[in-house]
Amino acid sequence: MYGGGNTFEGIKTDSVAQEDPQKLAEFEARIARGEKIEPTDWMPQLYRKQLIRMIEQHAHSEIIGALPEGTWITRAPGFKRKMSLMAKVQDEVGHAQLLYSAAETLGKSREQMIDDLITGKSKYSNIFNYPTFTWADCCFISWLVDAGAIVNQLANAKGSYGPYCRALDRICAEESFHLKYGHHCVIYLAAGTAKQRSMFQEALNRWWPPMMHFFGPSDKISVHTEVLMRWKVKMGTNDDMRNQFLDMYVPKILELGFTIPDPKLKKNPDTGRWDYTEPDWEEFKRVINGDGPCNKERLEVRRIAEERGRWVREALKSPKAAYVTPLA
Amino acid sequence: MNELALKELLYKMADDLLILGHRNSEWTGMGPILEEDIAFSSMAQDKIGQSHALFQLLHQLGEQAPDTVAFTRNAEQFHNCVLVELPNQEYDFSLIRHFLFDTADALRWEMLSRSSYEPLAQLARKIHGELRYHTLHANTWVKQLGSATEDSIGRLQRSLDEAIPFALGMFEESPYESDLVTDKVFEGEAMLKSLWMAQVEKVISATRLHLPDWKLINPVRGGRMGKHSPHLQPMLDEMSEVFRMDPTAEW
Amino acid sequence: MKSLDPRVNRLPVPGTPGTIVPKVPLDQFGSFEVFVQAKEGKPFQHEGIVHAPNLELAFVLAKEAFTRRFTCHSLYVTETRDVFVSPTTEAEQNAYDLIEEATSPAAKEPYEIYHLPRRGKQHIHAGTVTAGSPEEAMWLAKQSLNTKAVFNVWAVRSAAIRRTTPEEAILWQTLPDKKFRDASDYKGGDKLKEFLERRNA
Repeated sequence: MYGGGNTFEGIKTDSVAQEDPQKLAEFEARIARGEKIEPTDWMPQLYRKQLIRMIEQHAHSEIIGALPEGTWITRAPGFKRKMSLMAKVQDEVGHAQLLYSAAETLGKSREQMIDDLITGKSKYSNIFNYPTFTWADCCFISWLVDAGAIVNQLANAKGSYGPYCRALDRICAEESFHLKYGHHCVIYLAAGTAKQRSMFQEALNRWWPPMMHFFGPSDKISVHTEVLMRWKVKMGTNDDMRNQFLDMYVPKILELGFTIPDPKLKKNPDTGRWDYTEPDWEEFKRVINGDGPCNKERLEVRRIAEERGRWVREALKSPKAAYVTPLA
Repeated sequence: MNELALKELLYKMADDLLILGHRNSEWTGMGPILEEDIAFSSMAQDKIGQSHALFQLLHQLGEQAPDTVAFTRNAEQFHNCVLVELPNQEYDFSLIRHFLFDTADALRWEMLSRSSYEPLAQLARKIHGELRYHTLHANTWVKQLGSATEDSIGRLQRSLDEAIPFALGMFEESPYESDLVTDKVFEGEAMLKSLWMAQVEKVISATRLHLPDWKLINPVRGGRMGKHSPHLQPMLDEMSEVFRMDPTAEW
Repeated sequence: MKSLDPRVNRLPVPGTPGTIVPKVPLDQFGSFEVFVQAKEGKPFQHEGIVHAPNLELAFVLAKEAFTRRFTCHSLYVTETRDVFVSPTTEAEQNAYDLIEEATSPAAKEPYEIYHLPRRGKQHIHAGTVTAGSPEEAMWLAKQSLNTKAVFNVWAVRSAAIRRTTPEEAILWQTLPDKKFRDASDYKGGDKLKEFLERRNA
């Protein structure tokens, strides 16, 4: 067949009971063998639905994530930082482009996804609903929020859906630049003047709670999550991801002489895991549901960007190049 | 070789590229479609990079370090043309400005690839490919949007009408113009302007846009002499907000 | 809207803030598949897609979407609708086994053939065949290019591809110099060491 088959229809199912047992068994066997699922393969509705939701949210997080750092794009100090920050924010837009394409292979168009973002129907990473007051907030994101994202993305890159894995392989390669750039910025703040140091310490104090929220609340292991883990859609628990992040980055933050604003934060020698003050999950829920410091602005800016670009899309829309689902 | 003349040339080019690169970077994350957002950002990065390379040449000629020069001067010390400092407005204006400026920029660098000042000629040859992309991008968009719908043609036409007087200000001559020509550093703004007009006419003639009668246009000059619109100083204040917090600090 | 982002404070606000007009479904551009040749002599590899109104803009947009890092020798794009796709196989099964004989009376023209060497990887250019239809191209590829099991085969009419022209080969000239996009350009080790020594002193 020529490219551009399946189009998206709303998926209502939340179970696998209605699936053809033989097809389901073949599908699961393929994943168990370590083979990736490709877009033209048969897949359970639940798998498609979860992946669309997950990849779409990831894409939204990239496009919205371009905004808090973009806040400093016109103010980056010096040529080098100016070019790096432009390239970094550009990468976030590029990641959104790659991820929307991967989600599109499952049958939902980019426009539908962006509509769902703007109308608040689908979510994005909560952390981008916080403001970047100073250059140091921007550096915190470049280094540590990206570090957290890499922990998630490296895990997801081992998932079962081919197009998502391909996008993540590209993204992770680019993220290594973000991480090094962010760390570089923070080293310069740490080694700089008293003012620079206090700028970063203040940013760290502001961003630590949202950073702990970043990985999400502890998972309740339900039958549902077990299925998604078996299908390699969900690749690890939220607590595992958070713990991995703390393992890798707490020593690096402390090395720079900064203090982490959590008196309980400490690696437990018995469990080998980090103890910390339980994040405020009520606040997390409140912000996710729209009541954070920047939710309205983020969506409004995205909406305005879409509206301002509408005439370009309207002008060049042509039946000769109508939308079809991407291949891979 | 008249070093003052050379420095004046390098400064105006470096300032043009810095200011327009900065303006265009404001679109990053807010472009009309994702793919174009990425492309436009890359070209803004190219401009900042080219500006940096020119400030490095100036540094080798005894001027202060690129960051100091770029982030601590005030508007009247900048030599960019007024065109590049104007606010972005809507994408039609940004696109038309990109087309008008980059057409001139590509031709200018092509002329400079024959410059007797070898470091500049070398740089010109090196960035040839970047400029080729910028003009490919600009020409493709202008040709397509300039021939699409009444709305897009109207938008581009209005932006073109607004930008042309400023665009002609790009070719404001240097007090040292004849020295540059005699020393074979640069063949001069007059020659560049005529090449530019021919190229702009060629692209626009492939669209449903029309150019004004060049003779009836009053070019907006002054930028090269430090006379700017009210838009430049606030832009510079914003650009150097962090840098000027402590110019001795390393960021 | 008062924002910390000076760019946002400059935004014009079209329409009424807070009222969202949903878009017409599928109000968007076509899809184009992007292939990149990283180095001269290496095969073209599928890298992803761009949405664009036509082939020419797809080429322009694909360049920065997919080749703004490392090296690139050449790039091309084709419409997704112009890609003919074989069934996808799994485990030990070769996708070519499922391709049946096909011939076409139509005038012969070149087709580019791409293989998926492993699920989850990218399609790679395998060679060119001359055929009258995509089905025939697949069948001919089965005779000439079927050397190792592959999981999926694509065939694209060469004429439907927007290639990099010889004059455009310079587009990627300065790419290796764009170090600011690479992790390797951010070496903070010396600064860190100096800082730690100062701190511990």
